[in-house]
Amino acid sequence: MSARATRILGGLALLALAVGLAAGFGYAPREAVQGNVQRIMYIHVPAVLTAYLAFGLVLVGSIGALATGRAGWDRLAGAAAELGVLFTGVTIVSGSIWGKPTWGTWWTWDARLTSTAVLFLVYVGYLLLRAMVDEPERRARIAAVVGIVGAANIPIVHFSVKWWRALHQPSTILGPEPSPIAAPIAAALFVNWVAFTLLFLYLLLRRVELARLEDAWVPETRR
Amino acid sequence: MMPDHWGYVLAAYGLSAAALLGYWRHLARRRRALDARLRSPRAAAPGKAAIPKKAAIR
Repeated sequence: MSARATRILGGLALLALAVGLAAGFGYAPREAVQGNVQRIMYIHVPAVLTAYLAFGLVLVGSIGALATGRAGWDRLAGAAAELGVLFTGVTIVSGSIWGKPTWGTWWTWDARLTSTAVLFLVYVGYLLLRAMVDEPERRARIAAVVGIVGAANIPIVHFSVKWWRALHQPSTILGPEPSPIAAPIAAALFVNWVAFTLLFLYLLLRRVELARLEDAWVPETRR
Repeated sequence: MMPDHWGYVLAAYGLSAAALLGYWRHLARRRRALDARLRSPRAAAPGKAAIPKKAAIR
């Protein structure tokens, strides 16, 4: 994708984030039980959905890298993993801040929270592994295996609230039953989810392009 | 009904914005550093300071 198209995508992401803020604070009503603290949901839920998308792309890139041996797939997986860690970090921090006033604690070893922390640590490990291996083809092979195995955590995180007794509420979207969320709240959530997805795609394109340029050149000392 | 807890809301939005903006700035800084390296006179002569990685691997 050209630099101009990437810039346009960045502008769209910024615009969508502004609309998302307006929707979350202006259009969506004050939630009946939790009050205004529920507005944290408009970043918490889009962040975790974006993290799922990122780790899904790590899986796709890893399979592509193993199947074809092409560096582009490996770059996609590495860039998506970095962004997945970033968005999972946002999920954990915003969730923790939301948890304090609603549950009375910043953290509890609940199934959803614990499995999300494990997901975060698995992909931090994946990034450390990539940083430790210098030889590009060996790095791509090893990282691809970890990227494929690590993806097994995504359904564990998502279904943890169904499989185990958890303090965290069950899925209100992406669940088997129709969503019980009121229409204005669902609309604000949807706008913010689109904004986070656009931001993710923009950052992903920039990160992949940076990796491509860095891969093309080595300093004199590495020769 | 719970009180509003606006401080928690601001903290969540502020920290998330700081993380995302920080990552964007980190990417921009790395890109600028790479562009500067590629533009430098030493890098302009590939045989001396910077060479395509494929050639280096061979």
